[in-house]
Amino acid sequence: MDSIASLLYLSALGIYFHAVFVSLTLGLPLVIMSLLYMYTRTGEEKYLNSTRIATMVLAVNFALGAITGTLVEFGLVQIWPGTNLAIATFAFAPLALELIAFANEIAFLILFIVTLGRIKTIYSILILALYWVFALFSGLLITTVNSWLVAPWGVGPVTSALYPFMPSYGPLATDPQKLVALKIILLASGQPLQSVLQMPDVAKSIGIILTDPLVSLVSPYNVISVLHNLIAAVIIGSSLPLVAWAYRYYRSGNKDYVKILRAFFIPLLVLILIQPTLIGHFMGEAVVEYNPTKFAMMEGAKETFYNPIVALVAYGDLNHPIIGFDRLAQRCDSLGNQTIGDLAKTLNLSKDTLISIANSINVKLDPNKLDTVLSTKVRDVCISDLNKALQRLELVHIAYYTKIGGGVVAFLTSIALAGLLYNIPVITPLVNLVLRPIKRNETKIFLLASLIFIGVVLAAFFGWFVREVGRKPWTVYGLLYPEELVSISPVSREATFVVAAALIILGVNLGGLYAMYVVATKELRFLDLLKKGLGAVR
Amino acid sequence: MSPEVSVKPLEFLGFAGLGLSVLLHMIFVAITLGVGLVTAIYRYLAYRRSDSALEVFARRGFRVMIVTELFSGVWGTIITVFLAGFFPGLVALATNVLFTPLAVAVASIMIRIPSIVIFWYTWGRISPRIHSLIGWIMALSGFGIPLGFRTLFSEITYPYAVATYLSEGSVNPWRAYGSPLFWSLYLHTVFATISAGAFFLASIQSLVKDVKGVSIALKYGFVFLILQLFAGPLYWYTLHRDSPYIFSAVTFGDFSPFLILKMVLVIALIVLGLYSLAMINLRNEIYRYTRYIGLIALIVIFLGELLNDGSRYPYIVTLGEGGLSLSAFFNLYMDVPASVVFVILGFLFLAIALFLVSFYYAIVKRFLPEIPER
Repeated sequence: MDSIASLLYLSALGIYFHAVFVSLTLGLPLVIMSLLYMYTRTGEEKYLNSTRIATMVLAVNFALGAITGTLVEFGLVQIWPGTNLAIATFAFAPLALELIAFANEIAFLILFIVTLGRIKTIYSILILALYWVFALFSGLLITTVNSWLVAPWGVGPVTSALYPFMPSYGPLATDPQKLVALKIILLASGQPLQSVLQMPDVAKSIGIILTDPLVSLVSPYNVISVLHNLIAAVIIGSSLPLVAWAYRYYRSGNKDYVKILRAFFIPLLVLILIQPTLIGHFMGEAVVEYNPTKFAMMEGAKETFYNPIVALVAYGDLNHPIIGFDRLAQRCDSLGNQTIGDLAKTLNLSKDTLISIANSINVKLDPNKLDTVLSTKVRDVCISDLNKALQRLELVHIAYYTKIGGGVVAFLTSIALAGLLYNIPVITPLVNLVLRPIKRNETKIFLLASLIFIGVVLAAFFGWFVREVGRKPWTVYGLLYPEELVSISPVSREATFVVAAALIILGVNLGGLYAMYVVATKELRFLDLLKKGLGAVR
Repeated sequence: MSPEVSVKPLEFLGFAGLGLSVLLHMIFVAITLGVGLVTAIYRYLAYRRSDSALEVFARRGFRVMIVTELFSGVWGTIITVFLAGFFPGLVALATNVLFTPLAVAVASIMIRIPSIVIFWYTWGRISPRIHSLIGWIMALSGFGIPLGFRTLFSEITYPYAVATYLSEGSVNPWRAYGSPLFWSLYLHTVFATISAGAFFLASIQSLVKDVKGVSIALKYGFVFLILQLFAGPLYWYTLHRDSPYIFSAVTFGDFSPFLILKMVLVIALIVLGLYSLAMINLRNEIYRYTRYIGLIALIVIFLGELLNDGSRYPYIVTLGEGGLSLSAFFNLYMDVPASVVFVILGFLFLAIALFLVSFYYAIVKRFLPEIPER
């Protein structure tokens, strides 16, 4: 495995753990608010006790979410420091606004924890609702940054000049001359972006790259992406307590747990039902439009083929072909013999100009290497990158259909569980008929809750995999490769660093998950331990 | 006596926003590092000596952490975003030259924050031996964070590893730890945070009139304050030797009034600390002004950091008698909308207000109990 690949795996490890905790951060408030609402209506202590347990889990989870978020943030600036240019431009507004969200999210969470049970329940619900709003806002903004990597809104036709199968990404809010000059200098120097960005006064020499700082916030791809990601997170975060309390019911047979499940099942069911049918559909359409290579990978379309069902869902037209890599390659062929040098000239970038720009930013270019880059055919770059994407086709295809499978399982089992928790005509008798071999109601409920959880986790895990791997070979789709963004520090490439970082990530996160389990399940014996004078337990 | 370096309003706003975030972060850090250490020690002693009074003392002090730590971490994130957003070049350079120290800091954060929350919520649920171990991990990992991040402060005051990198073209991963300025800054920071945290703990204990608790906290605060009397002048001397611009600014220049004020407050801390200890030893009672000792200690921290960071203005990196101006690393890739920055700062102040309300109810009104309910 090369060093960049190992760093990609390391980043993925951190991001996946972050996703686990973020899901709970977004899902648990829905559960807690539902329980508190039931407490206000019934006054039954079981709702308040369950709220306390869920709140403790939320607190531990939040700390883990915050540190894995910090890890991802440092992963960006430290392991992929080329992204600093994006943070200083396209991602500036969302990240700056995220500070508002993050600071207030924490402030409201602390206020909620401190005042729970000490103030009127309705105020607690209100405080938690405000926390939830800021948490969702935070998720919206972070998704916006990720969406920009997937569909770099604001670069207009810059990417389609290199890859004709790509669309124009919104209005041209960048200076294409500077963007292209920087890209050619990186290619010719063989240096990652960090080596350019780190020099004093470079920003002065390069000057304005982005003219509309808010452009990433108005991307249509992002709008649907935000909905898709946030709803997925809330579903997962609510499914974990669902399966946890279903397990308690399975073990104890105490019907109070069914009441607790009912307290938050309806909103969860609604989300599970609309996610694949409505939101997932629009998300798929956005992928078709903005990530043509990813869509071809998802459908396993090495060659263009016809499939009326997929065509109807993706294009709204039964007869539309599923565009495969062969058609995308044909679009590359349309570039003919045009070279990168020709492309540069249309932006008034001659060889001398490029050398002069490189000098101004302290990059020494080898004229021969620059000639090689400028004489490279754009078509060759386009085909070469398509081939790199093609190598991941099988992987993404399998992952995508596993995700769909997970979604289908969750969809069906959530309807079935609704049939067990409530008396619904047709569904309840049907579910009882299908599950007739299982005698205990407790087992049925636990089984269905587990299947919902497994289904949504599979869907989310592979969904994110498709989102990230599907945009390769680029990190910023159509613009920048991982090797252009990676750190130039030799330490980052050492196996010791990668192994040590992976061990710390695994240790802290698995330890944290275990702590959440302890907090949720272990009885509080503080006074007992204190009374024993502590020594008795030694 | 500021040199003739032109600074645009937005550059000043970026510098001021970054400075504000650092100053607030440092106040919280001082509380959490010091309180964390003292409570870990006393949680361990309670377990070893089977002394439940010590455990309640530790638990009472640690309530502060559970309220403060996450909010403290927010300001760390805010610093990172300010740095990356306003000074992307500096971040690119730091993440290259200081890759290893920053990795040390990030690893420490990863251990520290979960261990605080885990320490709190597993208290009374798991065996005291394991719980004490978590406490030590929690307390000691905290000092790994400045061990990493203070290299950045050290390098922008006296470029040592950076200078080697720029002259030799290659990065030595541990070079930043060879900087003589770094170690004096690190010691100064560690002693200051423990001292301030312990004094803060003394104030908290005085609110509940726990004489023994106040006495313990005051002793820790006092010991590390005495150590500061050596570490502070040592840092001042290294500034004189390695960073004459900052030395002049704090000793003779625009920032000298803050240095004088800091010295006065340090003397006040010594006097108040000694008097409070004497009252406890002689009359077994808490002097009524002891409750303000934590506040004074935190003001000292604030002033110290203001001197350390603000005095470099209008430079971001100081070199001898001059330096690299803010614009050398400033974000000139787009026109940063000033209105957005003001809106963000406004909301951050709202968050601070909310935090203070939580703190008041949790600690002063004791909504967060020392003895947890079943």
